Amino acid sequence: MSQPVLRLNGISKHFGMTKALSDMSIILFPGEVHAIVGENGAGKSTMIKIMTGVHKSTSGTIEVDGDARTITGPQAARDAGIAAIYQEPMVFPDLDVAENIFISDKSSGLLMRPLIQRKRASALIDRIGIKLDASRIASGLTLAEQQVVEIARALSQDVRVLIMDEPTASLSAHEAAQLREIAKTLAGQGVAVVYISHRLEEIFEIADRVTVIRDGSHISTKPIAEVTSDGMIAEMVGREVGNYFAKAAGTVTDNIILEVRNLTLDGVFADISFDLHQGEVLCMAGLVGARRTDVALALFGITPPTSGTVKYKGEITDFTTPRAAIEAGFAYVSEDRRKLGLAMPMAIKSNVSLATLDDFLSPFGLLDRAKEDKVAHHFSERLNIRTPNVETPVGMLSGGNQQKVMLAKWLNLNPELLIFDEPTRGIDIGAKAEVHDLIRAFVADGGAALVISSDLPEVLAMGDRILVMREGHQMGILDTSEATQEIVMMMATGQMQEAV
Amino acid sequence: MLSRISPQTLRILALLLVLVVVLLFFSTQVPNYLNGRLFNRISSSVAIMALIACGQTLVILTRNIDLSIGSVVGFVAFATGSLITNNPDIAPFILATYSIFLGACFGVINGLLVAYARIPSIIVTLGTMALFRSALVEYSDAKSITTNNLPTWLVDFPNTQLFTIGTFQFRAAFVVAVLVVVAVHIALTRLRPARKLYAVGSNPEAAEMAGINTKLVVFFAFVLAGALAGLAGFMFLARFGTITVVAGLGFELKSVASAVVGGVNIFGGSGTVIGALIGAILVDLIDMSLVRWQLVSEFWREAVLGALILLSVAADAILMRRLVKWRAAREKTKTKSEVSS
Repeated sequence: MSQPVLRLNGISKHFGMTKALSDMSIILFPGEVHAIVGENGAGKSTMIKIMTGVHKSTSGTIEVDGDARTITGPQAARDAGIAAIYQEPMVFPDLDVAENIFISDKSSGLLMRPLIQRKRASALIDRIGIKLDASRIASGLTLAEQQVVEIARALSQDVRVLIMDEPTASLSAHEAAQLREIAKTLAGQGVAVVYISHRLEEIFEIADRVTVIRDGSHISTKPIAEVTSDGMIAEMVGREVGNYFAKAAGTVTDNIILEVRNLTLDGVFADISFDLHQGEVLCMAGLVGARRTDVALALFGITPPTSGTVKYKGEITDFTTPRAAIEAGFAYVSEDRRKLGLAMPMAIKSNVSLATLDDFLSPFGLLDRAKEDKVAHHFSERLNIRTPNVETPVGMLSGGNQQKVMLAKWLNLNPELLIFDEPTRGIDIGAKAEVHDLIRAFVADGGAALVISSDLPEVLAMGDRILVMREGHQMGILDTSEATQEIVMMMATGQMQEAV
Repeated sequence: MLSRISPQTLRILALLLVLVVVLLFFSTQVPNYLNGRLFNRISSSVAIMALIACGQTLVILTRNIDLSIGSVVGFVAFATGSLITNNPDIAPFILATYSIFLGACFGVINGLLVAYARIPSIIVTLGTMALFRSALVEYSDAKSITTNNLPTWLVDFPNTQLFTIGTFQFRAAFVVAVLVVVAVHIALTRLRPARKLYAVGSNPEAAEMAGINTKLVVFFAFVLAGALAGLAGFMFLARFGTITVVAGLGFELKSVASAVVGGVNIFGGSGTVIGALIGAILVDLIDMSLVRWQLVSEFWREAVLGALILLSVAADAILMRRLVKWRAAREKTKTKSEVSS
């Protein structure tokens, strides 16, 4: 093979105490489509960010064309010919296609010549093999067209390494096929394409080589001909489970709390059916783009489903607002603590009382601060929130403690059904175990929990049953006793489906 | 035909339409309304605001706002006045350059605080608005600049008639303002670095990813706005001659109003300075016409002006949406027919 265009040697990256990447090495050759696969959180994003200069590696070296180089920032990465496009493209909605492509172009002088610029833009778009009018304003473009704009921008800067991060995740089947065509075309023109995708069939279609990474480490790099999907999955999930979560005894009763049948939101997910019993933890597993959160949002009345039935304690319900769902006894703890969960600058106690402010009114209609204090103290103790006092702003707490405050806020509602989205994302192992115990305690007390998690060992340890989703479809429901990481991952990647 | 016109041009056309409607409306309400005198009045008064609105537009395009701009105009007018009073021999060109430079210095302060100290512009300029004004009070030592002490070339300059068309007199101040706005407009639409202003306001994250030095862009926007406010301060001195510590008070909000009425998106990323100029004309026209409208008492004038501003912005927005929809529908049918053929 020819000389590598980019080479990572023993790259490590630490964020505080967490190791996102350790000793990662990868070699990219011109003209190859190099697929990178791994579970959610395996370190793919961090690796891209190091290649594109967004993050600086803690240790290790990067070689461009055989020269060791430090990529000091996004500009240096671009100068080296490294560009990335993402699932959510980065375009300027107010500018037209040509202006978007040449926004940071240095070669063409001070004066803009719109006609020449459009002609050059059209030439680049032609090279990609797509029809797109260079004078259109970007705000009217589809996602796929916006990605084309980004690819053209990369081409205009003589890209030699193009990283595509889940580029097809939000595209229709036809658009996705077109994008894969583009990737192949560019590789044919000598660009090294790094292709990150959860869709294994895509990888078999276009990749020349595949690298598997897991927990921030390089596991293997093989030519596609030597790879099977089973082997790839085994490498992706081969994590030590050990005794890292103690599994609680089954508390499942025969009493069905939630009965979901053929729940569908057009264009997002379809035909989701399951029962949730009192005392049960049902985990939803799947990869990015499986649409698990959308199912949760539909159940919670935020985006009501287009068809299907939901029976709650035997009665048909159709919540159209979160308020209605909360009043019925639902609680939804969001995966996005910062955006949807907590008011970071506010005190712990104010966050805890936020969802139930009506219960904290004194006879005169003022906030009863003593009661607020008392309740916050109660939860602080019960959930073991480590903080100097309940006046501390939530933003100052660690991730795990923030998660507990969020849980306290919802438990304060005395819900019967808890929907917990990624309960342990970004928190350390000790806190993880505590959150698991809390969820277990909640169901043992007569509640029921639906837990969305991308952490397979967690799913296997704390779920009574596991519902696996893939791209909006239910792939099957497994009993934890019969499930393994490999089986779940095979279903999540579409290599296996439970006979219905 | 319409589909070939850019949305920006469309917006300006829509604004001109609103302008004509306002003119026609008042001509039915105010006797002897449409004549050369109306033009001459509006053009002299809008000359100053056009420059300020132009600078304000540059800042708003980057998702910021400059509330200190009125204080800058006042300070520069006073400082320039005292400089020429004490040194009557300074050449006109040097004096104008001094004004612009002084204004730009204020812009540097705003720009450093917003772009590099990362303080939100509304807070920075709210602070500097008061600071610059207080600096003026301190500097002026409670004295005023008076017309008597200014050289005649300066006082005569704004009203010099460069040329006339019928009863329309084109006075120097107005012509200079229009020339500056047109120059900035050409720079904004034709110079590559200017495009970054739009990029930063349109999608700051993407701008950062595309390798644009967003801090520098924002910094420059404030410096240019300061320089334009400096030039406006020079014009203000020339027009009024008498400068007190309240010079330019309230200009900041009027400039924001002009820009927004002129179709500049308050959330950044889109708008033109030509639009802001027409916006300034529209606001001034409505303001001045209301004085002559018998039906509206002195007390209600502000309220009617506010309502009319809202109305014109709403009309403009609705008009734009209609046009964009109509064009999208046309494009769709066009591509459909292409596909089927």
